[in-house]
Amino acid sequence: MRGDVADKLATLPPDEQRLLRPLVDTSPRFYLLAGALGLVVLWGMVAYSLQLRFGLGRTGLNRPEYWGIYIIDFVFFIGISHAGTLISAILRVSKAEWRRSITRSAEFITVLVLGFGAIQPVIDLGRPDRVLNVVLHGHLRSPLLWDVVSIGLYLTASTIYLYIPMIPDLAIIRDAGIKAPRLYRLLAIGYRDTSAQRARLERVIGVLAIMVIPIAVSVHTIIGWIFAMTLRPMWHSTIFGPYFVMGAIYSGIAAILVAMVVLRRAYGLEQYFKPIHFDYMGRLLLLFSLLWFYFTLAEYLTAFYGGEPAEMRTFWAKVAGPFAVPFWAMVVCCFVIPLVLMCRRRFRTPRGTLIAGLSVVVGMWLERFNIVVPTSVNPRWEMESLARYLPSWVELSILAATFAGFILLYMVATKFFPIVSIWEMKEGREQSVRDVAERVASYLPQPAASAAAAD
Amino acid sequence: MTQTRREFLWAAGAAAAGLAWYQAQEITWTAEQVAEAGWEPGIESRLASACLLCPARCGIRGRIVDGRLVGIFGNPLHPMNRGGVCPRGIAGVQALYHPERIRAPRLRTGARGAGGWQALSTEGAVALVAERLRGLRAGGRPDGVAVLAGYCDGTMHELWRQFLRAFGSPNYVADDYRDGIDAVMSLTHGISRRPAYDLERSGLVLSFGAPLFEAWWSPLQAYVAFGGSGGDRRDGSRPRFVQVDTRFSRTAARAQEWLGIRPGTYATLALGIAYVLIKEELFDADFVARHVTGYEDRLDAAGRPQEGYRSRVLRQYRTEEVSAVTGVPVERIVALAKAFAERRPAVAVIGAEVMQAPDGLLGGLAVHSLNVLMGSVNRPGGVLFPDDPPLEPLAAPVLDASARAGVARPPISGAAMPFGDGDPARRFAQAVAGAATPPEVLFIYYANPLASSADSGLWTRALSRIPFIVSCSPFLDETARYADLILPDALPYERWQDAPAPASYPYPTWGLTRPLVTPPPGAVHTGDALLALAQQLGGSVARSLPYASVEELLKARARGPFAARRGMTLGDEFERTHYRQMEERGWWLAEHTEFEAFWDDLVARGGWTDLFYDDTDPARLARTPDGRIDLMPPQLQGALDAAGSGPALYAYSAQPAGAPTPEFPLRLMPYRVSTLASGTLALEPWLAEQPTLFPDRHWVPWVEVHPATAERLGLEDGTMLWVRSSRGRYRARLKVFPGTAPEHVGAPYGLRHPDGELANPLQLLDGSADPLTGVPCWFTTFVRLEQA
Amino acid sequence: MTRWGMVIDLGRCTGCAACEVACKSENNIATVSPDQADLGRAFAWMKVMTHVEGEFPNTTMRFVPRPCMHCDNPPCVQVCPVGATYINDEGIVGQIYARCIGCRYCANACPYTVKYFNWLVPEWPETARAYLNPDVSVRPKGVIEKCTFCHHRLQKAREDAQALGRELREEDYQPACAEVCPTGAIVFGDLDNPRHRVHALKDDPRAMRLMEDLGTEPKVYYLTPRD
Ligand SMILES: Nc1nc2c(c(=O)[nH]1)N[C@H]1C(S)=C(S)[C@@H](COP(=O)(O)OP(=O)(O)OC[C@H]3O[C@@H](n4cnc5c(=O)[nH]c(N)nc54)[C@H](O)[C@@H]3O)O[C@H]1N2
Ligand SMILES: Nc1nc2c(c(=O)[nH]1)N[C@H]1C(S)=C(S)[C@@H](COP(=O)(O)OP(=O)(O)OC[C@H]3O[C@@H](n4cnc5c(=O)[nH]c(N)nc54)[C@H](O)[C@@H]3O)O[C@H]1N2
Ligand code: SF4
Ligand code: SF4
Ligand code: SF4
Ligand code: SF4
Ligand code: SF4
Ligand SMILES: [Mo]
Repeated sequence: MRGDVADKLATLPPDEQRLLRPLVDTSPRFYLLAGALGLVVLWGMVAYSLQLRFGLGRTGLNRPEYWGIYIIDFVFFIGISHAGTLISAILRVSKAEWRRSITRSAEFITVLVLGFGAIQPVIDLGRPDRVLNVVLHGHLRSPLLWDVVSIGLYLTASTIYLYIPMIPDLAIIRDAGIKAPRLYRLLAIGYRDTSAQRARLERVIGVLAIMVIPIAVSVHTIIGWIFAMTLRPMWHSTIFGPYFVMGAIYSGIAAILVAMVVLRRAYGLEQYFKPIHFDYMGRLLLLFSLLWFYFTLAEYLTAFYGGEPAEMRTFWAKVAGPFAVPFWAMVVCCFVIPLVLMCRRRFRTPRGTLIAGLSVVVGMWLERFNIVVPTSVNPRWEMESLARYLPSWVELSILAATFAGFILLYMVATKFFPIVSIWEMKEGREQSVRDVAERVASYLPQPAASAAAAD
Repeated sequence: MTQTRREFLWAAGAAAAGLAWYQAQEITWTAEQVAEAGWEPGIESRLASACLLCPARCGIRGRIVDGRLVGIFGNPLHPMNRGGVCPRGIAGVQALYHPERIRAPRLRTGARGAGGWQALSTEGAVALVAERLRGLRAGGRPDGVAVLAGYCDGTMHELWRQFLRAFGSPNYVADDYRDGIDAVMSLTHGISRRPAYDLERSGLVLSFGAPLFEAWWSPLQAYVAFGGSGGDRRDGSRPRFVQVDTRFSRTAARAQEWLGIRPGTYATLALGIAYVLIKEELFDADFVARHVTGYEDRLDAAGRPQEGYRSRVLRQYRTEEVSAVTGVPVERIVALAKAFAERRPAVAVIGAEVMQAPDGLLGGLAVHSLNVLMGSVNRPGGVLFPDDPPLEPLAAPVLDASARAGVARPPISGAAMPFGDGDPARRFAQAVAGAATPPEVLFIYYANPLASSADSGLWTRALSRIPFIVSCSPFLDETARYADLILPDALPYERWQDAPAPASYPYPTWGLTRPLVTPPPGAVHTGDALLALAQQLGGSVARSLPYASVEELLKARARGPFAARRGMTLGDEFERTHYRQMEERGWWLAEHTEFEAFWDDLVARGGWTDLFYDDTDPARLARTPDGRIDLMPPQLQGALDAAGSGPALYAYSAQPAGAPTPEFPLRLMPYRVSTLASGTLALEPWLAEQPTLFPDRHWVPWVEVHPATAERLGLEDGTMLWVRSSRGRYRARLKVFPGTAPEHVGAPYGLRHPDGELANPLQLLDGSADPLTGVPCWFTTFVRLEQA
Repeated sequence: MTRWGMVIDLGRCTGCAACEVACKSENNIATVSPDQADLGRAFAWMKVMTHVEGEFPNTTMRFVPRPCMHCDNPPCVQVCPVGATYINDEGIVGQIYARCIGCRYCANACPYTVKYFNWLVPEWPETARAYLNPDVSVRPKGVIEKCTFCHHRLQKAREDAQALGRELREEDYQPACAEVCPTGAIVFGDLDNPRHRVHALKDDPRAMRLMEDLGTEPKVYYLTPRD
């Protein structure tokens, strides 16, 4: 850290000092990790360039196993993206005060992961050079087009939803003058934190929070529908819309938990991510593990009960056939582990939630795998021979690069933007304590004396 | 820091630009390809010709665009295939434009087989051969030239023989893998000819192992009959196909009924059916009484009592015993016999594999005796003996003294077997590899013994003793690689040739091929080369072959049908029916009064046919001395008696040869895949991609094994294996298939690995043959499977 | 209305696969290398499907030649985001190769698995280009292709009929597979035209369609074998 910057930082209030330090102070470990991740990303780009040159034949895909890793990743990442916007919006709208320190990190996950999710189908295209045809020749009856529209909307909305609540913090950085003055002057768009500005900001945030919820719900519903609108066994199911939304939120919560634990350790944010946060998030995770189980049971039981031969081939392939390992691993990761850990208070700690969160992230990836692959290799027509699917190194490299790229960008983001909202913390301290006291009081029956006086 | 960041951005940008360029390149390449493929509509025609890729000789129509053959379709005017073709015929375009074609004559430079070649002109090549041949004649050894010809019929066959005769050599060696069925006909009917089967008009086709829908003499004839689109069946009924086979083949799968039987028991089953027919008096007693000898017991020439067919069958083929031997349930044997009697006219077809057994001739007689019992001979829907097309013979050969002396010398391959000439090529190779004086010059035409024979080692030794080998192959097959001179033939789509329908087809039919596209400049029609050679040799050889080209020769031969006052140039359904009906009433109406017009029409329509068969002609039933069909031919009886304790006619004998040993426990069952075009070429890609029956198998040769056998051996589907017999081994992939009998190995032949390695089960064969006909046995060899 | 359709008589089909190879020849269908074929990437717009039951000597096998069903209610067309697969007003489901983005959604939506994807740049070796059919474009990498009912033949047949000033007859427009089938198992024509054989055959008691319950309304009918 340069001396003058350190001096300037020292003049700031403690919250700001703590939260802005990562922007100007970078450890060698960070560079090392970033370098390693960068290499993985480069490697992935090499792999993709081969695929681009020679065609999707460089993957392990075939007929009728048309969709593989990329589509799994697509569903998975878009699912994770429900972390931020949806959760933070729900918490905001429901005025959950404990949200203040975690919304920013969650919203960042959303925006970044959404980008990485949205490029997956493009990576999966046979003709990425013609991707504009979707606009030029778009056919609205295709669920894929609905998807393009809803993801586009979602990306825009969540970027705005990330940006607007960040403006006051950007203004703080600008005013502190610790980093790239021109950049932050531009980003802060003249925000001076006047009360009129603040009021307008809060109103916009309020409206956005409400708007973004249906958009987010629609996004994953439509992704579910992409599968459900085909006639392939175990895709053609009405539960897919809600099932996908629920799963998305579930994986989102897990992703936030993981991010919180890591940020807390990396930037010493113990004061901001407190045990109570982990406890509350752990409870949410517990709730969703139960929901997950309910949805999964409903899905598989109806398929099993119907006993339609084509469905049953896929069903058994998952439950007791070649896909039994990923299937039961998914059940363990998405249900058993989080349930067992999160139902006890003493595991709803950073360490406990980290384990549960990672387990759910892995489990939800497996769930996407179990949706995409077993159906793909089991064609509906019994005369068609079964396919096999072994992802190629190209696919696995791109998979790795996607994860690495996301983590890298997230790391870089923490170097430019405070990962905990400074002004919201301030507001919490200055105003919410009073507001909440008043609000809580308003829930309660009035004391007899004052009630009489009011009469 | 900023520095590195900038560099990184620059590098990323450059990489992206590079990728874009790469991508764009691919797209332009594709566009170029489209343009090169001749996107603009061209000059297009569809011309009649014939397919020469298998003995069926179907009529085809080639679609030619701008001088390229872009598609092969059936010729709807051809009465045998009626517009249909098989996959192999369609894939002919891939043979025509095969990347491995030889496009110009080559002379060997280095050691034999080492692969050193030098190009030379066609004239130069012919002159070189002429010089060699002149030397032979000058040295008084005209018989020092020999011809090894593979499947070679029609005028090309006669051209080669005429050439050899005029030159003075008896050494025409057929490498055509005969099956000996003509011997069966010769013995019983006195007609030495492969029988024709009138499948179209038959009520029940009972095939004993004949792969009718795969690699039969004419699969298309069988398809048309099965589809019911041929013949004059006005009620829309179709023949019922019953397949008796050791293997679950495509024929077995598509026949209305399949009887899977034990190997080597065809004759037993046939006589078991005969037993029921006789016992229940279902056979045609009137026909037998009027036209058959040897049915009842009789006295032989020496006055000794001799058991007849009837007594032998009744004595030995009780249904339970037959069932125990063949593995076919009693009820099915009885039901089959009844169906054979009821659904008349019924016909029993002898498959080559009946003959390719140690007692093959006897097996063939047993199967054919069913046709005799039911009177299904010389009757619609039965066995017919049609005439050959009435072609003008070749000019009479002129033999000078030298030629007469040469022709009189004994042929190198020695004498034929007592009842047929099963494997002359093998005898030739044995003689040459052994003591006999080898020929000085050997022409190889349409044959590739180094790859296709059962003993490539023998052939290598034989060929190494021959000083000058000329191959006519348009492909660098194994034997061509071993030649001294390659004079590449034009492909069938580039040359004039005749294409007579195979013997299995009941109506004399003469198809024609004509050049649809021009051959590469260095390829020369072997027939034209031969005529040119004859001219260069001059004298009586030239006078024996006074034709400028094969086209002229064919035109000369067409004067036969023109003058025959029967038949018609190929025509549509209406014309066919019209001509047949006229001929049935004894009329005939000339389509053409001018020969030139007749010839033009013949070429335009693709050939000539005569769809009338005169079944009242007794000479078509039997040409034995007493004019009767003989079920107990005395010559054969005599030969069997002389041999002593061996098998007897219609006598049940346990499987004569071949039994599993602990070392080689599995029976090898070679079979020919229907897509096989030429056994020794790599398959055309379209065919390699879709071996029928197993749509999931591509390219790599496979062997079929029953699931229980595979499990016992601990082998999984898809494993690469060595198939090993005491004679050798080859590589193939395991296909677990429940239709294969347990402890058998179904082994398609003619396949190659993608790298060109041959997978030939025939080279594992034990080398045994039917002593009566010389036909090699293909189903007596045992193997084991080892993981490769 | 013209509705082109096909009737395949399974009682006549011998599984010879002439239709399969004729289709490859007619439609410039690329051949993939042996290891690509092993991966399940070989093309066959027409494919003779087989199904085996029972063990020696009681084995039976069914052969079902399978082109595109040209569904009247085609799920593949519904899902295509760019309209690169479409159904025309004569019921032929076609492909626009130049527009396809290669998402393979249609391939997943087709219950009959008749769509093929160009995983790699198709190889047309120098010598093989000679026999390409100039009426049919070759496909670039990355796009979907499938049976088109040989509709390039329809265009030609129309032009020819028009030039002769007469109506299009059944025999004028026959796809390659129907033309070569040696047993006459494939019958092609206008399902709505009483003068075409398919019109009556589609109502034969033996006629059925694949997975009729899905409501895709295929225009390829099968006649089940009689015995
Ligand atoms: N399509 C096509 N047709 C052709 C040819 C071609 O190249 N292509 N070539 C022609 C030529 S040259 C020939 S020689 C013929 C070959 O014609 P065939 O010899 O008739 O044909 P293969 O397929 O070799 O016949 C082998 C059959 O024998 C059966 N078999 C197996 N084991 C036994 C056993 O133990 N005993 C008996 N008796 N049978 C058994 C198998 O099931 C198999 O069906 O085909 C002719 N037809
Ligand atoms: N591996 C293997 N061995 C076999 C068989 C098999 O199918 N596979 N089948 C067995 C049987 S039944 C038989 S009949 C024999 C057949 O075996 P061969 O008589 O050797 O016949 P093919 O192998 O069919 O073809 C011989 C050669 O003819 C050449 N040829 C192809 N087209 C032309 C042409 O237009 N003109 C000329 N002049 N030459 C041409 C090719 O180079 C080919 O190698 O093989 C027997 N052995
Ligand atoms: S059956 Fe023989 S002659 Fe007929 S098309 Fe097939 S390969 Fe050619
Ligand atoms: S060409 Fe005809 S008989 Fe042969 S597989 Fe195709 S439909 Fe069946
Ligand atoms: S069969 Fe498949 S590809 Fe063909 S129209 Fe129907 S859904 Fe589309
Ligand atoms: S692969 Fe092509 S044709 Fe199929 S849905 Fe995608 S864009 Fe449409
Ligand atoms: S109709 Fe044409 S494109 Fe379709 S399967 Fe038949 S030949 Fe192929
Ligand atoms: Mo043969």
